[in-house]
Amino acid sequence: MQYVTGIDDHRTSTGLDNRKLLMWAFLGSDVMFFGTLIGTHLIYRNRSLSGPQEEILSIPITTVSTFVLLMSSLAMVLALAAIQRGNMGGFRFWTVVVAVFGSIFIGFQMFEFAEFAHLGLTPRTNLFGSTFLVMTGFHGAHVTVGILWMWSLVFASFKGKIHQGNALQVEIAGLYWHFVDIVWIVIFGVVYLIGAYGAENRALESVEHAARAASLI
Amino acid sequence: MAAESAHHEEHNHPGPRQYIVIGAILAGLTLIEFGVFYLQLDPALMTWIILVLSTSKFMLVVGYFMHLKFDDLRFSALFFSPFVIMITIAAVLMALFFNLTR
Amino acid sequence: MAANIGILRRPVSTAGVWGWITTVDHKRIGILYGVTAFVFFLIGGIEALLMRVQLAQPDSEFVDAGTFNALFTMHGTTMVFMVVMPAGAAFFNFLVPLMIGARDVAFPRLNALSYWLFLFGAILMNFSFFKAAFPDVGWFGYAPLTTTPYTLSSSTDYWVLGLQVMGIGTTAAGFNFVITILNLRAPGMTLMRMPLFTWMTLIVSFLIIFAFPPLTIALTLLLFDRFFGTNFFDTVGAGADPLLWQHLFWIFGHPEVYILILPAMGIVSDILPTFSRKPLFGYTTVVFAGAVIAFLGFGVWAHHMFTTGLGAWATAAFAGATMAIGVPTGVKIFNWLATLWGGSLQFKTPLLFALGFISMFMLGGLSGVMHAAVPVDTQQQDTYFIVAHFHYVLFGGSIFGLTAGIYYWFPKMTGRMLSERLGKVHFWVMLIGFNMAFMPMHVLGVLGMPRRIYTYSADQNWAGLNLFVSVGAFVIAVSILLLIINVLRSVRKGEKAGMNPWAASTLEWAIPSPPPHYNFAVIPTVRSLHPLWDEEANAVEPPPLPAHGEPHMPSPSYWPIVVAFGVTMVCGGLLIWQASTWLGLAVIAVSGFIGMRGVYGWVFEPVAAEEHAEHAEHPERAPAHHA
Repeated sequence: MQYVTGIDDHRTSTGLDNRKLLMWAFLGSDVMFFGTLIGTHLIYRNRSLSGPQEEILSIPITTVSTFVLLMSSLAMVLALAAIQRGNMGGFRFWTVVVAVFGSIFIGFQMFEFAEFAHLGLTPRTNLFGSTFLVMTGFHGAHVTVGILWMWSLVFASFKGKIHQGNALQVEIAGLYWHFVDIVWIVIFGVVYLIGAYGAENRALESVEHAARAASLI
Repeated sequence: MAAESAHHEEHNHPGPRQYIVIGAILAGLTLIEFGVFYLQLDPALMTWIILVLSTSKFMLVVGYFMHLKFDDLRFSALFFSPFVIMITIAAVLMALFFNLTR
Repeated sequence: MAANIGILRRPVSTAGVWGWITTVDHKRIGILYGVTAFVFFLIGGIEALLMRVQLAQPDSEFVDAGTFNALFTMHGTTMVFMVVMPAGAAFFNFLVPLMIGARDVAFPRLNALSYWLFLFGAILMNFSFFKAAFPDVGWFGYAPLTTTPYTLSSSTDYWVLGLQVMGIGTTAAGFNFVITILNLRAPGMTLMRMPLFTWMTLIVSFLIIFAFPPLTIALTLLLFDRFFGTNFFDTVGAGADPLLWQHLFWIFGHPEVYILILPAMGIVSDILPTFSRKPLFGYTTVVFAGAVIAFLGFGVWAHHMFTTGLGAWATAAFAGATMAIGVPTGVKIFNWLATLWGGSLQFKTPLLFALGFISMFMLGGLSGVMHAAVPVDTQQQDTYFIVAHFHYVLFGGSIFGLTAGIYYWFPKMTGRMLSERLGKVHFWVMLIGFNMAFMPMHVLGVLGMPRRIYTYSADQNWAGLNLFVSVGAFVIAVSILLLIINVLRSVRKGEKAGMNPWAASTLEWAIPSPPPHYNFAVIPTVRSLHPLWDEEANAVEPPPLPAHGEPHMPSPSYWPIVVAFGVTMVCGGLLIWQASTWLGLAVIAVSGFIGMRGVYGWVFEPVAAEEHAEHAEHPERAPAHHA
């Protein structure tokens, strides 16, 4: 061992930035978080004793909200590309677009939850209500945090605290936003499309089944 | 230092035009998924089609929007290793709960 | 900017109580963790002694059944989450930056936040004692027992929320140490030149960040069931599966077992070479064995559930995976023995405890392999045999290993030596007491004594062994008293330690004891696994300060404790909400605001205080960014 002076304190052993590495580690951890939520939802599929289940999922409406969230991700990379080129106006424009699209997505989700409550599905109704609403609710909470983060970036940029020199701050916020987006890609595919496929027939069958059982009695 | 690496990144990363193309592909895949939902297919076949389409969307966002395709491999390792663990755990749980192991 | 106004200006002073409250120094945070863990060790120990008094005689009425339930629940929860984990964190904090040649962890303020969340979460859970009663649902809190119809008392809410707060803190610490070890190593400190303890810290940190989310989810689902009437564990009304909680808990719980034992393994792997005067046998193998144990640890959770009827295939697969974990563990034990083989052994107290660790942990490991055999496990499930097994692993393993660490690194932490004579007495008393207390439990288990019963009748013939066990528990208590006396005496009057009292080989011994707040005046350059043995001539004294003076360290900060307070009080508000809706909502709103305000203050806080502003034109030089 020896002591060499003049070593740059700022270097990292891997050459990777601390904060970016932290965000990736956090996302890895969040994979386990959402994985457990989605897994719990899947193992409770078709186990509800009463109340509406997957047949009440509205695929057309959710396809639109999925599209909005995907486009917010596109806006996010465009915001990053803008600030890396020093284009602050473009950065602010696209970041606001991200926040607005995220808010539209949350609006869709609130509409969906309200509609479900109207149809008689709340977290207290049955297993499907519990797992589905808590899972999508946690995703919505992640989106909400992201929206706050986007507005914070925009306001900080007006104070000169976000600029081309620390575009990394935007990149890290972007990683978070895209992650929330890919979680939704999985939920939309697995929970909505695969889950609701043929659900109406299954629901009808179970109603007929119950009717037949009742007529036997 | 920061400006240097930013410049370096620009060199590697795709530009806005490519991002918009990726965005259009993502929108298209979502539209296909939407269409598949209304076809009268065997549920198992439909499940596989959706899984493939969703995985493609997933990889496009992770690879291009999150830059993993161009970034350091260690970020990918950090992100995908819990993924492997979680998918295995979820698969085992589903097998257990659907009584596939008796 | 708001962060610079009034009392919440970034503080400069490190003196007095405020210095400790606002500290971001990894060494001070390590000491805070250590002292807190020891206090909870005493509390958890007293709970154990009360149980042993109750069980010493048949038909005893010293405590009633309900109190006994609370005692074993809090004993387990305390020892796992408030003693062994934070004691491990104490060593991570104090040692890891020193071992890799860094000035602090990657995110010093996040580090402080982790500690305060741990402390507040632990206080929150124990606060249930004053409001209702101690939680009494067992340390793994099986649902549906923990859901409202079966546990009306709010004590379970305290248990859930306390664990949740501590879990957030632990996960944050996990992130911090992953980044610190990957990114802040001194030049030349490649991964395969890191001391074994640092390696085990890295592996444990990965386990923490990947295993805690399932627990967080399980606790959240239970919380929603109890507070908002969801159906996740409602087996009667909604058809929920009674095994869901068990799966989620043990998906976390088995990696947790390795979170508890790997730090002790790391400590022992660093102590053995020092007192054998030769390098660790098969360094690479020990590293990879640790990694394999951690990885397999995610695939064996259902061996806690063999008697639930998972089906033959699943049971066989999990039994096989469990036995497979015995292989890397055995590899480690052989490596440790081979390290001792042919070494010039110096039987100092740390080595005695390390040897105690190896032998006692091996006994616990062997009874663990017995449980992997499903028919045997079916016989032993929920008997005292299981209690004996996990105490051999957690006390004989973790506590012996951590005590070895205390004796080994106390000189580095305080600058003074612990008494060798008292230390050796401590070791022998503890070893004898430990075996008196836990060895007969194997027999009791085979005789059929179930765990968690609060009493038994005289005609069951368990009385003699139980009395013996209880005497053993008090012998352990005496040994802990000896440790306290030793520490209190040595802090004042102990022999001065010097830089490297054990002539050890790793970087933490290359700087004064206790280390200055900046650790290394000049960052060392490393060229081997044993820098102080291979080039001892260079390590006789620390390097002089460079011409421009002391290195700049990040200033203390108020924000970590503010954020931790906000998070904890949101949970407190939920508890109040049950009694009084509006007051609860008000507390949640106010503390939520405090927490958010804390986060914004934190993010926009300058790295150095204003008084130092003229030096801070390169804020990115300090290790902390917006963490």
